[in-house]
Amino acid sequence: MFEWFGKVNYCRDTKVDGFATHLRAGRLMGSACSGCGHLSYPPRADCPICRSGEFAFIELSGKGTLSTYTTIFAAPAGFTQDAPFHLGVVDLKEAGRLLAPFGDTIGPTEITIDMAVQIVPRLCDETESIKVYYTLEKPGTTWFKTDPA
Amino acid sequence: MAETRAMKLGLDDRVALVTGGSRGIGAAVCVELARQGCDVALTYVGEPGEADDTVAAIEGLGRRVLPLLADAADSTATEEAITRTVTELGELDILVCNAGITRDAVIWNMSDRAWDDVLAVNLKGYFTFNRAAARLFKDRRRGRIINISSINGERGKFGQANYTAAKGGVNALTRTLARELGKFDVTVNAVAPGMVATEMAEGLAPEFRNAAIRESMLGRLADPADIANVVAFLCSDFAKHVTGQVIRVDGGQYI
Amino acid sequence: MSKVGIVGIGHTVFGRRSDATVQELAFEAYRDALADGALDPAVIEATVIGSVPEYHKQRSLAGVIQEYLNLNPKPTWLTEVACASGSAAIRTAWLSIKAGVHDVVAVIGCQKMTELETAEILALMGRVGDVQWESGFGTTFPGYYAMFAQRHMHEFGTTAEQLAQVAVKNHYYGARNPKALFQKEITADKALASDPVASPLTVYDCCANADGAACVILAGESAARKLGGGRVVWLEGNGCASASMSVLRRSSLTGLPSAREAAAQAYRMAGITARDVKVAEVHDCFTIAEIMAYEDLGFCAEGAGGAFVAERQSYIGGSTPVNVDGGLKAKGHPVGATGVSMACEMVHQLRAEAGARQVPGADVGLTHNVGGIGQYCFVNVFVKD
Repeated sequence: MFEWFGKVNYCRDTKVDGFATHLRAGRLMGSACSGCGHLSYPPRADCPICRSGEFAFIELSGKGTLSTYTTIFAAPAGFTQDAPFHLGVVDLKEAGRLLAPFGDTIGPTEITIDMAVQIVPRLCDETESIKVYYTLEKPGTTWFKTDPA
Repeated sequence: MAETRAMKLGLDDRVALVTGGSRGIGAAVCVELARQGCDVALTYVGEPGEADDTVAAIEGLGRRVLPLLADAADSTATEEAITRTVTELGELDILVCNAGITRDAVIWNMSDRAWDDVLAVNLKGYFTFNRAAARLFKDRRRGRIINISSINGERGKFGQANYTAAKGGVNALTRTLARELGKFDVTVNAVAPGMVATEMAEGLAPEFRNAAIRESMLGRLADPADIANVVAFLCSDFAKHVTGQVIRVDGGQYI
Repeated sequence: MSKVGIVGIGHTVFGRRSDATVQELAFEAYRDALADGALDPAVIEATVIGSVPEYHKQRSLAGVIQEYLNLNPKPTWLTEVACASGSAAIRTAWLSIKAGVHDVVAVIGCQKMTELETAEILALMGRVGDVQWESGFGTTFPGYYAMFAQRHMHEFGTTAEQLAQVAVKNHYYGARNPKALFQKEITADKALASDPVASPLTVYDCCANADGAACVILAGESAARKLGGGRVVWLEGNGCASASMSVLRRSSLTGLPSAREAAAQAYRMAGITARDVKVAEVHDCFTIAEIMAYEDLGFCAEGAGGAFVAERQSYIGGSTPVNVDGGLKAKGHPVGATGVSMACEMVHQLRAEAGARQVPGADVGLTHNVGGIGQYCFVNVFVKD
């Protein structure tokens, strides 16, 4: 259910719907093209290289380095009560880039470009409906993961 | 007596905490869970020897037991009971809230004290135990909470303004917690007995027991084991899709 | 192949135009463009409208405007590429003339930014980025450019003071442009002390919304010479490129790959280099955007954009005067109108009619109009007749 993904969700219908289910189980998934093996994060059903529509989810380590960041003061709808909040763009170890908010293990004064971070899957406990997302944390931070089915 | 077959519920090596586990429904729940393979912590009040029979029964089934003297009305004691269970038995998988008292009176004769004492044990006590367990269970993404309620939480009962208010509150608490904890794969249910053949019931005048038997479609009162069997089932993975329910085990007293 | 020129320009006052609908604003600019070129509306064969629809209550704007301009049954349609919609409209008109389908096309960039309620604006604000992977975390338009700024500062040592210098310059020139939203100069201290929007950008690093319209009338060479009355300005380079919409797939976080590509095309087509550009309009939606533009367009080396403005190289008298009409920063940014406003300024400059903000001897001008966070860029080179 991709509608679970994000602190606010604008995207319900997608071919990579299973991403959110995996994230709920504590697994960050990229995609590998079944045609040519091209690895993508964010995951995508349609290969940009060979155009195959077949793909498999591949679990990523969530390790990465911070490429850039900002602190949002003037927040958009759904985020006004959270401002100011800190967002980072991370180059992932295996492939691609990810954008996420910083979590509690990294204070705003500790944020520097090129720092190592760990993407940690999160389940929001303040809402009745299921909301999954991820935060940027210090390397070594652990999180809940269910065993693969 | 016909031979009864034991249920196989797959609760091996789970750890349960049962409040008010020294007698009555609580004791039966402790013993059934131990029979199903659980290690059991139990709280009780009164003299230190109060829980001896239940402790012996659990040990006799080859399981570990942790008796804890703890007044359910004391929120520090309730937190400590949960902490000690985890420390000494290694984990907590199941909470059964059962400790309860009565102080019956018609409302015009009911003192503040009678009201406060019953609410403190029967409702606030459940709240504090449920809260402590919820904190653990949500992080572990698993757990079972069973709150022993009463059909006299859904219907009025003469002389029990305090008790029925508390049990009605337990039902509401159960439903809310099912909503709050559902996404963490934690189920929260209430079991609502009618009259059960326990010490508490034995202390009643015969006319009250008989009235209950007459109410029951099955012409009898429940045994404590009847309640314990349903509690054990709800603890198991066979009941993993049951949550937020108040399940009456009343022989049809209230339908 | 024959050239395409501009034979008439019109430009409304940019600001909070609570006195007019978007079609009324379009009409002001259109009327002024016809008057500027002494043109009979009968010569207009088609219009292309540049505007971003989601800010307006009126759906499907081109039809409403065409009707109000009394140009039915001439063909019309809307082009939308976020903040570069005006330049997309210009390119569409240019393509149609180059293809020989039309001789004279009116391009109107028009926008009201103030029709929406606050709640609608807040909701739109959050959907600038990739709504599947980014908007769910609260990104905003300034947030993306702030991330570029953060990286630019990290890699090249660009400073907040240098960013403020862009704002100071553009407000200096805005005060000399009666059509600009902001008519007052500012100091660097005022800019640096303003409230943070998305670190490191403050209020004064960000352009403001405005309502407004601008019109340019394009004509093929022979029509232009006949109609132009000796005041034609030629559109000799038209470059256009796209880049990854999402920062997650952008090859650079300190420059806009679409701008570099579009500039290369425009320079090649016009047969010039960056050194030949005497006056430029760049897309300063944020101060960092102007600094990145100096570098992307080749006005200075990569990473040297901060020093470029600090050394006053982008003032009149410097090596490449930039945004001497106030830029987006001082004019305000009616998103669909901006690209056309830039073209109007080039025409003023290359006709030597820019008055107090004339760049002496300007014979080659360049506009750089970016859409969104750089997924679209249009670079045009204008040449004096």
